[in-house]
Amino acid sequence: MEERREAPTRERRSEEHQEPLHPAIEDDAEETRRLTETWAAPTGFVGWFMPVNQRIIGRRFIVTAFVYFVLAGLLGIAMRLQLAAPENDLLAPEIYNQFFTVHGTAMMFLFAIPVLEGFALFVVPMMIGTRDMAFPRLNAFGYYVYLIGSGVFFLMLLVGMAPKAGWFNYVPLSGKLYEPGLGVDIWTTMITFIEVSALTAAVELIVTILKLRAPGMTLNRMPVFVWASLVMAFMIVFAMPAIIVASSLLILDRLVGTGFFVPEMGGDPLLWQHLFWFFGHPEVYIILVPALGMVSTIITTFCQRALFGYTAIVMSIVATGFVSFGLWVHHMFATGLPHLGMSFFMAASALIAIPNGIQVFCWIATMWGSRMRLATPMLYVLGFFWVFVMGGLTGVMVASIPFDLQVHDTYFLVAHFHYVLIGGSVMPVIGALYYWYPQMTGRMMSETAGKISFGLVFVGFNVTFFPMHQLGLEGMPRRVYTYLEETGWGELNLVATIGSVVLAAGFATTMVNALASLRWGETARRNPWGAETLEWATESPPPPYNQRHIPVVKSREPVWDWREEDERPVVVGLRSDRREVVVTSMLDAEPQAVQVLPGPTIWPFLSALAATVGFIGILFHPVFFVVSFFLAFFSFVGWFWPRRPWQED
Amino acid sequence: MRQFAGTDVSGLTRFAKQTHPLYAGIIGLIAIELTVVAMLVVSYSYLMLTAPEWPPAGLAPAPLLWPSVNLGLLLTSMVTMRWAGNRITAGDRRGLILGLLASVSLHALVLVFRALEMAAYEFRWDDHAYGSLMWTISGFHFTHVASAIVGTLVVAILAVKGYFTPERQLGVVVDTLYWNFVSAAWIPFYLALYWGPRLI
Repeated sequence: MEERREAPTRERRSEEHQEPLHPAIEDDAEETRRLTETWAAPTGFVGWFMPVNQRIIGRRFIVTAFVYFVLAGLLGIAMRLQLAAPENDLLAPEIYNQFFTVHGTAMMFLFAIPVLEGFALFVVPMMIGTRDMAFPRLNAFGYYVYLIGSGVFFLMLLVGMAPKAGWFNYVPLSGKLYEPGLGVDIWTTMITFIEVSALTAAVELIVTILKLRAPGMTLNRMPVFVWASLVMAFMIVFAMPAIIVASSLLILDRLVGTGFFVPEMGGDPLLWQHLFWFFGHPEVYIILVPALGMVSTIITTFCQRALFGYTAIVMSIVATGFVSFGLWVHHMFATGLPHLGMSFFMAASALIAIPNGIQVFCWIATMWGSRMRLATPMLYVLGFFWVFVMGGLTGVMVASIPFDLQVHDTYFLVAHFHYVLIGGSVMPVIGALYYWYPQMTGRMMSETAGKISFGLVFVGFNVTFFPMHQLGLEGMPRRVYTYLEETGWGELNLVATIGSVVLAAGFATTMVNALASLRWGETARRNPWGAETLEWATESPPPPYNQRHIPVVKSREPVWDWREEDERPVVVGLRSDRREVVVTSMLDAEPQAVQVLPGPTIWPFLSALAATVGFIGILFHPVFFVVSFFLAFFSFVGWFWPRRPWQED
Repeated sequence: MRQFAGTDVSGLTRFAKQTHPLYAGIIGLIAIELTVVAMLVVSYSYLMLTAPEWPPAGLAPAPLLWPSVNLGLLLTSMVTMRWAGNRITAGDRRGLILGLLASVSLHALVLVFRALEMAAYEFRWDDHAYGSLMWTISGFHFTHVASAIVGTLVVAILAVKGYFTPERQLGVVVDTLYWNFVSAAWIPFYLALYWGPRLI
């Protein structure tokens, strides 16, 4: 049931040419200059703390996240070197514990979520044909909060005070008794802080997607990546509060002696596990779902045909979002919960394979018989297929309780989740980096280096993580800093370490490629990949206002329609002397109103500082809660205070 | 490529209310906070239902009178806020200011009653999990009422300066939305903290 593209044929369009209803619009140079001026971001040192334009903030998220990807990756390499031989003494146990905790936390909270949000913030507004996010200042606030929170967290490693209770930070191990010192305190407050940033991005994405779509882009015509971002944002809204509550309760336990997780006081450590995994399981789908959207986008472009089964894919994405909230207990199969409940979660965990399977079949159908262009983004997508499906298969295995109890806390799990996380999320993200790089910088990344990078990543990844399945089945537990020679695990571990070096070389090639192409990359043509979505309907890189005119959309592949028809309808009547965008209705994208967006300002940065005072201050004295309450209040007043002359129309 | 006018938006309003993205944004904020409320209630119920005795031996369930009075005050303040919004729609600036100040006074009264009630608790937050929950959830709601008060005071100052008109009243509309959330959030807490221990 392939969906026919609903674009009118050239013949019908040429009939309409007869009608005098559509006089052509010529762009006025003076008007364009004024538009550029209105939407320009400030420059200079102070100016760095002021821009609110969606592409600048999105790019900052992406760049910062990749910095953490490299740093946390280096920690991973260090751990692999330690495990290369039995009874190795490269890393002390204490340091090893800090490394795996920071590696996991940073990869999840500092890299994966922000990088996918970053791509969504960068791409979605352009893809739906608008000029900025609905709340540009909140967007900037979210970035500073993320930058400060992640920076403070990572600095703890440099001073040797990083947390060492693992990325899920189980009590009682993370309680004051077993983890004295600031490490876990910083973990809990900074994680809350970074989640605030994720939540602001989520609300903005939801509102921007539902209210600012170009006229005519009904929900049914929304690009799949936008659908995926929307589902991700909804999942963040309902999942992240659980980790915020959990870590707030933990910090209270640690700072003022409350007893939420202390059995002697009537608390319960399992409460932590429930709250954490109620967030933690949706979390892995939060970083998977937008990556699946990237896969759909890249496949459509590089096969040059409409996606097969658009409706089925969208429904699958939505279903994944819902079902992911019913899986958290499968992380707790070994805690002795009632059997009936566990059976439910076992069934739900197997069920999630269905929507994901549907998507894989739709992609195969799209690629079937197409003349595929094997550029780097597409190669990474093909790599994603292999790796992600492998991870999905082991996922179905560990969803079964009897099997799970055998491999619980072994390297089999480590292999499984690296297959789904790197395969399901990192590989599409790298593909997306190559794909959208022209819109970020105006240049293309080197294809040769891209192909080398893909080869190294694909081989290195499988050599690193495939042997871990076997190590897990042989009983090697995760999170041990060394093992005895008699266990016989030495050879496979050595193989994994060699693989990890190759894998790192592959990622490094892409990072160097991205930096070098800034300077030496080939200048991008307009719409270099021949894509169909609106982010390509403008120059590379786009001007500060994204598109000269907000377009009117009539199908799912507007850019291809215009290619065929050689004309396009646009919105007129937006002022160029202030930041105006069209507000449309949620379902049918009919114009409803015009929103006047705020310009650049320093207030979001000041608000982020005010919040930082509170989050770091309470670790030392409770009074900082009150101090920060009022600081934040004053900064918000400064942020929202209407400037004279008050807007009159 | 030829471009033609597909739609003209010069006549559309720049003063949208319910259709303004900010309205949807505040609903998003409320959705997040409602999830936090739900998580706190779930944590409370989880520990209540797994405990052998709730509240711990020697304690009676917290008295009902003042929390119930507070519930009445909070719900009334939703009505006064609604009234304030109606007044500015009718172009009555004095009515708006009066309504905002009445609502703020009701919330301020709630803060006083809550503070007295918490000061009279026979337990501390570090005595047992029950105490931890009572103090944390009360503190959470107290902070929210306080922020609703200061936020609405700012709206009142803008009202005094003549910023709001029947057209330009998005600020009042979204402040009312958040106000209603803060006031109504007391209902689940009230049921869980004061009726929960009596009903199990």
